[in-house]
Amino acid sequence: MAYHKVRVNPGEGGWGKGLVIAPHDRRSKVVSVTGGGIHPVAQRIADLTGAEVVDGFKTQVPKEEMCCVIVNCGGTARIGVYPRMGVPTIDVIPSGPSGPLAQYINESNFVSGVRPDSIVLTDYDGEVEEESAKVTNAAPNQIPANPFGQQNGDQRSFFLKLSGVMGYIVGTLYQSGREAVDMIVRNILPFMAFVSLLIGFVVYTGLGHDLAAVVAPLGGTVWGLTLIVLVGTFPLFSPMLGPGAVVAQIVGVFVGTEIAAGVIPPQYALPALFAIDGQVGCDFIPVAMALGEATVETTEVGVPAVLFSRQITGVVAVVLAWLASFGLYTGSHIK
Amino acid sequence: MLHVIDWLGSHFYGLFTAGGTQFVGLVTGIVPILVVLLTFMYAVVRFIGQERVNKAILYSSKYSVLRYTLMPILSLLLLANPMAYTFGRFLPEYQKPAFYDAAVSFCHPVTSFFPYANAGEIFVWLGIADGITKLHMSIAPLAVRYFLLGILIILIRGLLTERITVYLMGRKTNQLKTVTTQTQAS
Repeated sequence: MAYHKVRVNPGEGGWGKGLVIAPHDRRSKVVSVTGGGIHPVAQRIADLTGAEVVDGFKTQVPKEEMCCVIVNCGGTARIGVYPRMGVPTIDVIPSGPSGPLAQYINESNFVSGVRPDSIVLTDYDGEVEEESAKVTNAAPNQIPANPFGQQNGDQRSFFLKLSGVMGYIVGTLYQSGREAVDMIVRNILPFMAFVSLLIGFVVYTGLGHDLAAVVAPLGGTVWGLTLIVLVGTFPLFSPMLGPGAVVAQIVGVFVGTEIAAGVIPPQYALPALFAIDGQVGCDFIPVAMALGEATVETTEVGVPAVLFSRQITGVVAVVLAWLASFGLYTGSHIK
Repeated sequence: MLHVIDWLGSHFYGLFTAGGTQFVGLVTGIVPILVVLLTFMYAVVRFIGQERVNKAILYSSKYSVLRYTLMPILSLLLLANPMAYTFGRFLPEYQKPAFYDAAVSFCHPVTSFFPYANAGEIFVWLGIADGITKLHMSIAPLAVRYFLLGILIILIRGLLTERITVYLMGRKTNQLKTVTTQTQAS
């Protein structure tokens, strides 16, 4: 029997670059290990390729016969078991590589977040073949697929659906937690480490007192803050001060330290937030224009347009923030 | 001689102990809330789904006031910095720089309530907010004003940058016209 090849793309929020599933005579089974029943993704792959679809919870399939496995794993066990066996694994939940077997998961054997509409035929590019593949292959496959539904469909389908929904909610929350911790470890803790070293040095050496003399008139008056934003948004400086908001973040921490020390009055926190950030993103304009699919001509005028606009709106922002800061932290908010 | 070594030793430890104290303060003060908040927000974005937010973004792109307020905010909440700027592709060319200007200018105000949208750069906000916390005052009133004022300012930025872009584009085509007419005349 001749099989077709399909390309399985990652779905919304999914991981991986996509897999090509090509069943052949020895590896001819699409295995659905999704808690009983055939997942629509497995069914669609089987329909398109002409391979046989098997419920992995009912029938044990030797790994040599699997052409791919469909799992609904939020990221502990199944997610890594099949990649380790060398079987292409398709996860219907948008999980990334994780769990004790995470090292076996890579872009050549794993894709996640997959939905039925992320699967396309690849070996023919004509639409006619795609249609005929659907028609000819759907027919024989509906016969083995249907008994599952008939045998246990009605009593089990409610629980299957319920467990599917529960699995989706738990899987999503778990994945979100993993992303949150990942963000903390990769971006936030390193910055905290570096800021701690810097502030520790300033506090311990007493440099803070010397800095206060400079920072107080700059950060504690509307004129000082206006001066900061004028310098920051000057078109020659602003693209240099932008990258990663590192400068703005360090200055933010210093201003915070001086507010805590009583050098800068707390209500100046609001205009200060806008004063130290007038140059935000000025380094990134060409890249952002490319992300927005702008033409070269737009990028050419876009860069000066944003830079000139900032020179004006930077000051406007500080003045508005200064006006909005009246009545902030004047006693009523103290705990 | 020993005094020098003692002095070096105690200051070596003193310096890094001071840094360590700062680090513990940041980790215990900020990280626990942030972990839970980030988890919640990532989950909410997944549950709501990209397509529904896409629709709202497309709708808001049509009106100039929404285009430089709701559209960049939703883009940031949905795709975060920097992928949010890809929504510029739905706009005509002359609005693209203005949309970016508005979106990127909200990158830090957004972190006062939705830190996940730009978690790698939260210290612009947290650095200053931490000073308020150390004075034993609530950061909530500052966060509200920062967020709301941020919306007003990205609107001003968007509208002004759009005007400047249109002006610069017009001047460019005019230059081209005069060049071509001159060459034709000669």
